[in-house]
Amino acid sequence: MSKEILTGNELTSGATVYLSAGGTWVEGLHLARLFAKEEAAERDGALAATKATGRVISLEIEEVDVVDGAIVPKRLRERIRAAGPTAPLTLHGQAYDRQHLGEDGHVSI
Amino acid sequence: MGLPKLAPAQAAHDKLKALGILALNGMFDEMDALGVLRYAVSDVLPGDLAIVSSFGADSAVLLHMVAQVDASMPVYFLETGKHFAETLAYVETLKKQFGLLNVHAIHPDANDVKRFDPNGDLWETDPDSCCHIRKTEPLEPITEQYGGWVTGRKRYQTKERGVLPHFELTSDDRIKVNPLAYFSDADVVEYRQKHSLPEHPLYAKGYKSIGCAPCTSIVAEGEDPRAGRWRGLNKKECGIHYDFSGAIANPMTAAARHTLWKDGAFIADPFKEWAEGTNPSEARYVHVPLPEFLANRSEFLANPHPLGLLVSPGEKIEDVVDDLARFASIAIKFPAFSDGRGYSTARLLVERFKYAGEIRAVGDVLQDQIPHMRRCGFNALVVTHEPSRQALIENRLPEMALFYQPVGVTEVPLGTRPFLRRVS
Amino acid sequence: MYRYDEFDAAFVAGRTAQFADQVKRRLSGELTEDQFRPLRLMNGLYLQLHAYMLRVAVPYGTLSSRQMRKLAHIARVYDRGYGHFTTRQNIQYNWPKLKDIPVILDELASVEMHAIQTSGNCIRNVTTDQFAGAAADEIIDPRPVAEILRQWSSLHPEFSYLPRKFKIAITGAPHDRAAIRFHDIGLQAAVNGAGEIGWEVWVGGGLGRTPMIAKLINSFVPNEHLLAYLESIMRVYNRYGRRDNKYKARIKILVHEEGLETIKGQVEAEFAEVRGGVLTLPSEEVDRISAYFALPDFAAQTLTKIDVAYESIVDPAYGRWLDNNINAHAQPGYASVTVSLKPVGGAPGDATDKQMEVVADLAEKYSYDELRVTHEQNLVLPHVALADLRAVYDALVAADLAEGNNNLITDMICCPGLDFCALANARSIPIAQEISRKFAEPARQKEIGELKIKISGCINACGHHHVGHIGILGVEKKGGELYQITLGGDATEHASVGKIIGPGFEAENVPGAIEKLVDFYIAQRQGADETFIQAYRRLGEAPFKEALYGTA
Repeated sequence: MSKEILTGNELTSGATVYLSAGGTWVEGLHLARLFAKEEAAERDGALAATKATGRVISLEIEEVDVVDGAIVPKRLRERIRAAGPTAPLTLHGQAYDRQHLGEDGHVSI
Repeated sequence: MGLPKLAPAQAAHDKLKALGILALNGMFDEMDALGVLRYAVSDVLPGDLAIVSSFGADSAVLLHMVAQVDASMPVYFLETGKHFAETLAYVETLKKQFGLLNVHAIHPDANDVKRFDPNGDLWETDPDSCCHIRKTEPLEPITEQYGGWVTGRKRYQTKERGVLPHFELTSDDRIKVNPLAYFSDADVVEYRQKHSLPEHPLYAKGYKSIGCAPCTSIVAEGEDPRAGRWRGLNKKECGIHYDFSGAIANPMTAAARHTLWKDGAFIADPFKEWAEGTNPSEARYVHVPLPEFLANRSEFLANPHPLGLLVSPGEKIEDVVDDLARFASIAIKFPAFSDGRGYSTARLLVERFKYAGEIRAVGDVLQDQIPHMRRCGFNALVVTHEPSRQALIENRLPEMALFYQPVGVTEVPLGTRPFLRRVS
Repeated sequence: MYRYDEFDAAFVAGRTAQFADQVKRRLSGELTEDQFRPLRLMNGLYLQLHAYMLRVAVPYGTLSSRQMRKLAHIARVYDRGYGHFTTRQNIQYNWPKLKDIPVILDELASVEMHAIQTSGNCIRNVTTDQFAGAAADEIIDPRPVAEILRQWSSLHPEFSYLPRKFKIAITGAPHDRAAIRFHDIGLQAAVNGAGEIGWEVWVGGGLGRTPMIAKLINSFVPNEHLLAYLESIMRVYNRYGRRDNKYKARIKILVHEEGLETIKGQVEAEFAEVRGGVLTLPSEEVDRISAYFALPDFAAQTLTKIDVAYESIVDPAYGRWLDNNINAHAQPGYASVTVSLKPVGGAPGDATDKQMEVVADLAEKYSYDELRVTHEQNLVLPHVALADLRAVYDALVAADLAEGNNNLITDMICCPGLDFCALANARSIPIAQEISRKFAEPARQKEIGELKIKISGCINACGHHHVGHIGILGVEKKGGELYQITLGGDATEHASVGKIIGPGFEAENVPGAIEKLVDFYIAQRQGADETFIQAYRRLGEAPFKEALYGTA
């Protein structure tokens, strides 16, 4: 069953964040609030409220599947955003971690 | 609304004065100018009332009334040194004919004139300062001597004066008496005819509101009578007028209302929005869209009223290059701040076509682009974006003082080498 | 090298302070993101997939050791210990935080660097030949003019909100190493009948979704009128370039739609007005700027020739490096060394802070304190004595920077792709890594010879795929990645745009497809001297297509 999540980048760190069920913006994709198709009004409300704060930028609505309880974005781009770059830097083969938020770990709106 | 509520601690006589003023405004019939004047002289401020007169086109009516009520009331005339010879002659005429006993000329401070206006052309570059040294400053010591003033102001005269009572309390606790507050132009004419009052020699020539010679021009039929004052200079009031609550008009409070930024302040904008379908021969004080102008060029050129031109992106200023002198102001539209075509238009106007009038930026005008606009020749801005307005007022634009390329006509080379460098 | 004087320093400091204030206003909420975005972009700050990305200008690709050390320092302190050198001769940091940007810009200013106009719809960093001032084939060192262009275009008030970005490339050599025919304006040094040096002006080139080869708009603009001529082009573009569709807003579309003659007429009319005016470049000024770029006082060298054949027998890896990574220098006894940022299995163009330090040390010790960044994402030590080559090589080996693959199949241009870029549709770096592993064998690379593969992760073509002898374009298809292959592109004076040869390939099949093309070329070539691009031009597209897809 296809659902939607809200994602964006936190203003100061640029880190990828998701709107959680608790109404805060968090790093973990697994914490993202799932919107059913008929919840478009709530989704748009949350989007508008976030936009008004200016603290999360590049806001997007993303389609996801729930596979064995895990949230899996349909687009490769989103899977890369959630996991970090796939390409290692050097001969040493070390992949990059994602960008993280500052101290408080979430963005309140 | 109305007059401010007074704190209980305030001195009793002040309170009485305030309440009394309020009551006075209900006492007289709107058109009972003589009654107002007589009561002011006899009951409100006996021996403590004076009048400042410009001896302009419609000064005769009020002075005629003053002469009937109290011919010895002090009448001050601001002899700015810039008056028409006709005005000076008119002072003598009225004095003699009405029997005014106490007419005084007030002269500007000679040192101020020498210092600030050595060539006598300050009115051209900075009319506000000119008014200041020739009117506001010389009047100040005189004002202090009296408890109240008679003025000739009328409600109809300009839109900013739509509300005006017979009696006002000023912020410095003086009383302004406006006997003619409810008089219309027709009432003035009627009074003048009825009493066969001498007309200002220039009135018949089309001057309806007469001040100093350099800043007064002819007003067209139907035009706002004060439109001829400071024409094209975005200035409507000289410093000695008072607003409704009596406070002297203050540029900082005015800034809250006005969107036109020019010469370091938000000021009243004589120009109005262009309305679709405006008759080319009747347009006045509007920025005519360039295509509209081209389509009706001869009508617009025959139109005697002040006009501006609106240039939108994609329109070629070259198409009107022969008619640029016709426009008191040219507005260049920025539909979005990211559309940079207006910068080229402004540079062409200033640098290539030597247009020296007002060039204003309109549309999406934001603080971060304003420095670029200025460099390209804009000398006026219409700004509605609040943070940008604050940045202008507080003089903290994100501005650079050093430049790498010669642009515009005001930047100066920084030494002879490197040749590109400029400073503002 | 150019050195800032007080004016330059004050200018950059002013700009840095200005942006620091804008960042402050953004963080306080006074500026909305919509208002802030163009301001940050004009200071080189993007938002990418995972974080902000800061693009720092390396004007005309020239750096001192001090500047390179500062770049390393920034990578170490404010980023994750590396930077990415780009096809615009710039460096990008992938992980900075917004609050650190003002500090980073201050750090940059302390070594006469900045990020001004590395993005936004303005005139971008001027690029040039990485061997400028050193190459044996050069008519004139283009860097003094490039510096003058940098100054003229910096925060130009009329041209800061153009229809679209604007890129200028300049070269002083007949062999074009700066891809000037694929820039909005390309400048090539020219000599007129009187023996005076001036500039051929090419206009309307570009890559992206509509690749176009620039057209010659003026075959000789004297040095003194160059700025006036360029300002004329800019004004015509600013006024008449399309703004209704961002994909049609580049000057190449204006030139294409209006026709070269129309644009030329407009430019010449504008030029007639501004020519001889305030932009006339005094020769003393050119001389003054040129003095900064005077060649070093080269020490005389006794060693004027290296026996590469001999060295190859003694140490094959060193021999390969000498063979490929050394460019002829105008000064006897010297060479320019290309420091490869294309190790097998690496991300093209990336360098760690430690590698940057090593290269800075080498520049200081062996290259008269000079470094260059190439548009092919390598570094260059421009002035190395032949006698020092071995020492330089050994130091590079120790830093994993000694890949002797310049201009070979593993010396690929590659954009960051979908691993980092917000615009990308497909990944690029993993494709480059797999291709380099497939062709890692040095003998195989040598056998193939000069072959330029260029990879872009989207149609915007930052990886220059249109001008790769073999180009690879990543596209999105049904939620997955697909790679189209183009053949026949060329970024040099023999400019051509590659053609898509057939249906695209899944990522895992791309290296195999490249191998088929390469094998076919080797089988068909008329000798080892005939390069891939020459063979392609001789044979045409059809046989390559057949080799790749079969006859069915």
